[in-house]
Amino acid sequence: MLEIRELTRRFGDATAVDRVSFEVPAGQMTGFVGANGAGKTTTMRMVMGVLGINEGEVRWRGAPITRLDRRTFGYMPEERGLYPKQPIIDQLVYVAQLKGMGRVEARSQVQELLERFGLGDRGKDHLEKLSLGNQQRVQIIASVLPKPAALILDEPFSGLDPLAVDSMADLLREYTRDDIPVLFSSHQLDLVERLCDRLVVLAHGRRVAAGTVSELRDAGVPRFRLVLGGDAGWVRDHSGLEVLDLDGTTALVEVRRTGAEQQLIAEATSRGDVHEFVRVRPALSEIYREATA
Amino acid sequence: MSTDQSPDHSPDRSTGTAEPAWLLVTRREVVSRITDKSFLIGTLLMVVMLVGFIGFTAWQDERTDEVTLGATPDAVAMATVVQEAAPEVDDKVQVTVVELDDAEAAETALTEDEVDAWLHPVDGGWELTSESSEQESLTSVVEAVVRQQVLAENASGAGTTVEELEAGSAVTTAFLRGDAERAAVAEAVGFVFVFLFYFAALIFGMQLASSVIEEKQSRIVEIIAAAIPLRHLLAGKVLGNTALAVIQLLIYLVVGLIGLSFTSYKSYVPALTGPTAWFIGFFLAGFIALACLWAVAGSLASRTEDLQATSTPLTMLMLAMFFGGLSLDGRSQVIASYIPPVSAVVMPKRILAGGVEWWEPLLALGLLAGFAVVTVWVGERLYRRALLQTGGRVSLRQAWSAAE
Repeated sequence: MLEIRELTRRFGDATAVDRVSFEVPAGQMTGFVGANGAGKTTTMRMVMGVLGINEGEVRWRGAPITRLDRRTFGYMPEERGLYPKQPIIDQLVYVAQLKGMGRVEARSQVQELLERFGLGDRGKDHLEKLSLGNQQRVQIIASVLPKPAALILDEPFSGLDPLAVDSMADLLREYTRDDIPVLFSSHQLDLVERLCDRLVVLAHGRRVAAGTVSELRDAGVPRFRLVLGGDAGWVRDHSGLEVLDLDGTTALVEVRRTGAEQQLIAEATSRGDVHEFVRVRPALSEIYREATA
Repeated sequence: MSTDQSPDHSPDRSTGTAEPAWLLVTRREVVSRITDKSFLIGTLLMVVMLVGFIGFTAWQDERTDEVTLGATPDAVAMATVVQEAAPEVDDKVQVTVVELDDAEAAETALTEDEVDAWLHPVDGGWELTSESSEQESLTSVVEAVVRQQVLAENASGAGTTVEELEAGSAVTTAFLRGDAERAAVAEAVGFVFVFLFYFAALIFGMQLASSVIEEKQSRIVEIIAAAIPLRHLLAGKVLGNTALAVIQLLIYLVVGLIGLSFTSYKSYVPALTGPTAWFIGFFLAGFIALACLWAVAGSLASRTEDLQATSTPLTMLMLAMFFGGLSLDGRSQVIASYIPPVSAVVMPKRILAGGVEWWEPLLALGLLAGFAVVTVWVGERLYRRALLQTGGRVSLRQAWSAAE
């Protein structure tokens, strides 16, 4: 597990990241969301040791993280690009060697990964000759080399077409199945909702929400929608509830006193037909908007 | 949520075969450069030019000037004397005499290039007429021979000999610091040293700076920084480029010296090897010092377009070294020969000119090496801090004081 504790980074007078804490559990995909400038990239760069930490700490498997630990992490920086004018196999082997692999071993692993990504016969091509999608694949290969202990990916899905998004997602799931923690940033909320086990929301350098998707959706005051056979006007007089919306036979209520919803359903059935009584969970985008407002 | 997992999902990698990071970087720098066609072609072109220039000089040296000298009947006797005496005056000149009927025929022969020049007597002397271009070697031969001949005739007319007239008039020359030709050779080779240093430092420096920007701009530097200390990245880049520059320099110097040994200057080759060895030493120290500064210039920029601005102080320094190396003499040259980094070109020039005490180059090289150590240290700090700052140019002050 990767733990981020009270991480703080200032640039001059501006505090880019302000006492941010969260966890990236092993085997889970954690989505890191927030507007541009919320501090996602700065946080990830501090986790990777590429940027100094003013306060707080990063812990890996229960101990403060070291340079050697970080060397085993796969990292994809935000504006990606390797060496444009070098054959891709050469630069991937170079990156693997910098991470401590032997030359022969690096070569065979790079070749294996290139083949997996359908680039087996492109190894000798210069990076700039590849399509953007393929360049992205080379980039992800560079970050998963060698078999990473954790993955820290800054906007790995940006610029990918839906098919490429799916294959990237499949790949990441392969790593989480091996109990590897994966942290990735994105501002495509639908994507995050679909892929992530957990979610960390950042706004103006602060953590404003964190948890699993259902935890977050359940976290607010419970809301229920009631659809009756007859007029729902009487709901307004029911205690312990706040009516958010009332439209003929339909009422949307927010529970103010625990148990009030049980009394509501009891009264509704005694008054006549109940067509629908359902808990309403806010969409992730709604939570996000509220949290970052 | 799971707590810490079992520790055995750490990647299984053998680190035993891994090389030190700086060496990996050095190798990448060298390999990616020497497999670059433009670099290879540039080096080859320079060698070809060098060989061509030396070959031309050698050919020019060996060539015998064959000239035809036209003479009207009243000058045939004198022209024949010139033909016979020519090799004694200048062994590169071979004169053939062509007899011409009269002045008109002579002018025709000149315009139709049948003869190179026409010798004929005029009032109070002789005249050598040529079409328009001066026949330099022929002129000096004719002047010398005619003068000697007329002098001998006049002397015998006065009842004396040329030797008696000239007795005691000879002035011989002696030089305390070598002779004029040696000084000229030293000057020329000194120019070559300054030129080689300037171009190597400028071209490799620019290349180094733009490769630093390339890494910074593409953020591959973040991947590298997460894997190895940036000190290793800088060391590898500087060492790689230094190795390339020194190899290129050695090729040029060896080709130059071997080429020189095929010309009439071959007697100077042994005397040049000592100063050349010194020059390589000064080049090495000077280049490392400047390479670190070039890396800093690159790291301060955030896009290739910024390099122009961030490298201006350096290009000014290079120009100062170039012109200082060429133009300084006397006391200012002696002083400059100790001041790094200008000493890298000035001291080798002084060694070439001769008259340098044995300790002087050592002291200058020591100072230059000390300077290199300082720039490596300062450069490393600036490079490390500026490299990961994104968003616009970084000023030196920002880079120096920035937190990491």
